[in-house]
Amino acid sequence: MMLKAIIDADILRETIEAIAALVSECRLHIENDGFSMLAVDTANVAMVKAVLQKTAFQSYEAESCEIGVDITKLRNILGTPGKTDQVKIELDETRHKLELSFMGYKYSVALLDTNTIRKEPNEPNIELPAKIIVPGMELNNAIKASMLISDKIALGVDTQEKNGPFFFMHADGDTDQINKTFGPTEVQFVNPVDSRSLFSIDYLKDMGKIFGKSASVEVHLGTDHPVKFIFDMSNGNAHFIYLLAPRIEAD
Amino acid sequence: MYFIEFAECCKRLEKIRSRLAMVEVLAETLLTLQEIELPVFIRFIMGRIFPDWSPKKIGIGPNLLFEGLAYVIGKQKETVIEALNSKGDIGTAVEELVSMKEQTSFFSEQLTLLEVYAAMEKIASIDGKGSQREKNLLIRRFFGASSPLEARYLARLLLEDLRIGVGEGTIRDAIAKVFDLPVSVLDHAIQVTNDIGEVAFLALKDPNSLNSVKITLFHPVRMMLAQAGDIATGIHDHGKISAEYKYDGSRFQFHRKGKSCRVYSRKLEDITSSVPDVTEMLMSVTSRDIILDGEVIAVKDGRPLPFQTVLRRVRRKNEVEAIKDSIELTPLVFDILYLEGNDLISLTYGERREILLKEVKKYVAPNIISDDPAEIERYYMNGLDQGHEGIMLKVLSSQYTPGVRGKSWLKIKPHVDTLDLVVTGADWGEGKRAHVFGSFHLACRDNDYLIPISKVATGFSDEELALLYDVLKDIVVSTKGKSVILEPNLVFEIGYSEIQKSPNYSGGYALRFPRFISVRPDKSIDDIDTIETILDRYDFQEQHRTGSNQ
Repeated sequence: MMLKAIIDADILRETIEAIAALVSECRLHIENDGFSMLAVDTANVAMVKAVLQKTAFQSYEAESCEIGVDITKLRNILGTPGKTDQVKIELDETRHKLELSFMGYKYSVALLDTNTIRKEPNEPNIELPAKIIVPGMELNNAIKASMLISDKIALGVDTQEKNGPFFFMHADGDTDQINKTFGPTEVQFVNPVDSRSLFSIDYLKDMGKIFGKSASVEVHLGTDHPVKFIFDMSNGNAHFIYLLAPRIEAD
Repeated sequence: MYFIEFAECCKRLEKIRSRLAMVEVLAETLLTLQEIELPVFIRFIMGRIFPDWSPKKIGIGPNLLFEGLAYVIGKQKETVIEALNSKGDIGTAVEELVSMKEQTSFFSEQLTLLEVYAAMEKIASIDGKGSQREKNLLIRRFFGASSPLEARYLARLLLEDLRIGVGEGTIRDAIAKVFDLPVSVLDHAIQVTNDIGEVAFLALKDPNSLNSVKITLFHPVRMMLAQAGDIATGIHDHGKISAEYKYDGSRFQFHRKGKSCRVYSRKLEDITSSVPDVTEMLMSVTSRDIILDGEVIAVKDGRPLPFQTVLRRVRRKNEVEAIKDSIELTPLVFDILYLEGNDLISLTYGERREILLKEVKKYVAPNIISDDPAEIERYYMNGLDQGHEGIMLKVLSSQYTPGVRGKSWLKIKPHVDTLDLVVTGADWGEGKRAHVFGSFHLACRDNDYLIPISKVATGFSDEELALLYDVLKDIVVSTKGKSVILEPNLVFEIGYSEIQKSPNYSGGYALRFPRFISVRPDKSIDDIDTIETILDRYDFQEQHRTGSNQ
């Protein structure tokens, strides 16, 4: 087990925040080409996959290993350094700690026993036919707007309308409704296929806060199927996938 | 064991009324369990999650449970509450609702008993910001993964109220039957370890070790309790007897090992940080590894202050320093349970008292030993004069029996008719009390069930009502018109003039002229008075009435 790396605080913070949006702890894989992780949230409803490439680091030297990380704690610690501060990361194998040094501070954070962390899920092998690329901020704004009306939201693609296809978001409250459509001038339809699934805003809002910072988000959809959001941050050096299980309304 | 098998076992037991038949079913089930499942099963089947000595709490109330369930079924929390109101039981309401699941999940999990426990243990270890969120997610996972029957018992287990009528005695008898052990051996081991799950584990692994289990420091044992009695009978039955003042304070158990120590309340909560002054005093009296039993009282100018004053300190979690000097506490130690690796609870009271006096130089509660009723009567009057509650008579030859309300300790105090009852609901006040609750619904216990017995609306000051509102508003489960249903947590001491038969309450009895005496935050729902007590008092009262008429 060996790790010696230096990275911009901002890049590490963005990555940890993206994971922290869904899980409070995870098994982190340290490889010689970077970090990766895959985890499912406590309720088995959302998944996050993250890859932080070696190229994201100022310097990077590592031997392959798996460590258990308290993501919430790391996120809190990384609240301190400024955008351009550099964080030195080292693994203290004997004391079973992750050391983070910045601005003259040195945090030694206890690693979690990986046996106490839930097993990594298998990435579900599902075909989501509709594929669209949406600006992250637009997508996040639409989610925030829907929060005012309901706690669930339908996402879908409609190819039947003229002037279409359209990517739509629709939320029904007890008395109110909200509709937001994105046409071909606003989003890129990689594969426009009719689709519609319902999701919980409780998760979408946390995801939206993160991918809202990404210039473009690839959205994969089906009908009564999960949604997949694929996006990059840190100049393409950090790569993320969020998956969210749908809600199926009883008729 | 899969959780569904546990749920099916619960369902079987719930239908059984006979204790013997319950023991049969339990014994049969115990045989199917793996070693590591045994302690978890035993606690779960009694509706407990963690060992009794453990300070761990799951911290999930009905509100959080409803929120989690509402999410899974895609309904508003109010829908869940309506279902509960119409069913009258959380378990069966959840069972029905969970079949309307709307949120899908990535995996279909078949929950096991151990997974459920591991997840609960994890939740209990998280505190601070984010812990509510994690609890909510766990509830979603549980209900997301469970069948209706599993959900019924998961819901009740999360609230630690299984309602299948399996008490400690029943499960103990099942353990005795399966492992062919005498009940007395198990009773002793349960008292000493305060962990019946662990006892079952030992019964399986190494039954001989049950005879030699010892009290463990920092695993508090239950407090020995007293029965009401009178001086004449005490002396008649036992001859020479010890008498101590009965202090109007808060019971504590002090554990010390080397330089570390903890103070536990009557409910076995860790109150060390609330009473730093008491901790310091007790640390100063001995340097030995020790467990002491006693009462903390508040004093002013040499006189004890009422119990409520003590509680203001003992319950305090924040700003302890600020209040420390305004309420002066002093410990009074009356028993010793452990010394330097040795259990003392099997020694007699007389022997323990001798060791106590030798080991603890200060703060030992005074006593007298006598077989003269007049002398003890004088001691009793003296105690009352000094502002104490009365006296405790302790049988010199008696062992310390944790958690047992036996005849070896007798409490003698002036006759006051009060009952400890739990608050299950409230009505909004009127007029100047319109912004607070003005009257409270009270219930006593019948095994696992709460039986409504009275409402109380008198005896409160405006300040008390404001304080009560502040505490109770966060545990409102549902609202109906001018009434609210509350999580049954808070215990009131209620005075009354007599017990009457009443068709208005399902238990068949009601209190006449109920009045609020005090809040009893030191007591839990398990400590409230039972319907049997009320029946006994009713019978006593009626006999007395007949007698006086003659």
